[in-house]
Amino acid sequence: MIGLVNIGIGNYNSLISALKKINVTFKICEVANDFENVDKIIIPGVGAFGEFIEKLKTRKIDKVIKDSFAKNIPILGICVGMQIMFSKSYEQGNHNGLDIISGNFRSLNTLTKDIIVPHVGWNDCKILKKTELFYGIKNYSDFYFNHSYFLDKFENQDLIASTNYGKKIPSILQKKKLYTVQFHPEKSQVNGLKLLKNFIERC
Amino acid sequence: MLKKRIITVLTFLDGTLFRTKNFKADYRYTKNFIDLVKVDEIVLIDISENKFQKSFLDIVDYYVKNCFVPLSIGGGISDMDKANLFFDKGADKIVVSSILYKNQKLLERISKKYGRQSIIVGLDCKKKINDYSVICKSGTSNINKSPIEIAKKIYNIGCGEILINNIDNDGSLLGYDLELIKKISSNVNCPIIALGGAGNWQHLLDLFNISNISGACTQNIFHFTDESINSAKKFLQSHKIAIRE
Repeated sequence: MIGLVNIGIGNYNSLISALKKINVTFKICEVANDFENVDKIIIPGVGAFGEFIEKLKTRKIDKVIKDSFAKNIPILGICVGMQIMFSKSYEQGNHNGLDIISGNFRSLNTLTKDIIVPHVGWNDCKILKKTELFYGIKNYSDFYFNHSYFLDKFENQDLIASTNYGKKIPSILQKKKLYTVQFHPEKSQVNGLKLLKNFIERC
Repeated sequence: MLKKRIITVLTFLDGTLFRTKNFKADYRYTKNFIDLVKVDEIVLIDISENKFQKSFLDIVDYYVKNCFVPLSIGGGISDMDKANLFFDKGADKIVVSSILYKNQKLLERISKKYGRQSIIVGLDCKKKINDYSVICKSGTSNINKSPIEIAKKIYNIGCGEILINNIDNDGSLLGYDLELIKKISSNVNCPIIALGGAGNWQHLLDLFNISNISGACTQNIFHFTDESINSAKKFLQSHKIAIRE
């Protein structure tokens, strides 16, 4: 069973619509106990890092995610749902993430001079390492991004795809069965729905 | 490379889709016209006097269920509960009025919970003799401040994008107010999207040729069908504008 995490601040309704569109059965997981029988996890994200991680902890879902990763249960983290998997974020302060995969998020303002922040809109992903997520999807396909922080100091071996926004920024990373995407597949039309389907069927 | 966006803005009066002209409901449409595949982004705005009616919320549900491109929702967001309501329903972003420059706390709270990239500030402007003034409350209240001053203020408090609209151009089909858009975009470093006046594809091209502009909003029904969005995109591509296919 697919578990869709809802902690009250993500855009889980968009994910529900997307999963219904591709005919997937799933359950909504709001607290740690809801994860019984869940063998695949999706964590959507519209939100700020600090608030998001706090809510995960209150509901004890942080531990569920860590345990699931250790048990090789496939996890897909989307946008902020991606970011919280990493070590740290400097969004509105200094927050520790779950530190399952290493890297820090810092403001796009520090990437290049005169950069426009946030990075909003459709941008392409250059695939650097073969991934099941991209099965049947062309390299350089466009996905919808909307974020103000980017991943820095990550492990090169985890990098799957990068995206050019003035400079290259990491857009897909994978560590074992943890898949993380900076863009919003649920909002990226045909390619996005295909990516979600790939996660469910092939990862 | 980041693509320029073609954004469909839909305005609803008591649950019915209207095109507006000078900010008044002008021509009635049905939502079945809207192409949900080729468009890059959709914005729903409630222009009813009584906001948050069931009829508008049903429209929101319809789009959340059926569109797989970014969805922004606005109209009457004056406190945290109302912002929460639209996000809970499935909004990726909300559109708030520039009058919130007076309510710094609310903007900060939304930003803290959802991130600043989730906030679009609608900056409605009207031309005065030598300058522009910011207008609020669906065009009924002139706050006598310059758009640049307000844009800088809300940018500093924390917003993701600014949606510029010149009321006089709204529904005119005479082209975007490039002078106004240039003035604002050279003063803030967030994405700027523009609304009001698109009548043909050349108008979109003129807008994109101003650096910094991230998206062109269209509100004319003839710009919403699959074929027309496709033809707009082909035209822009032939003029070397980076566009999502």
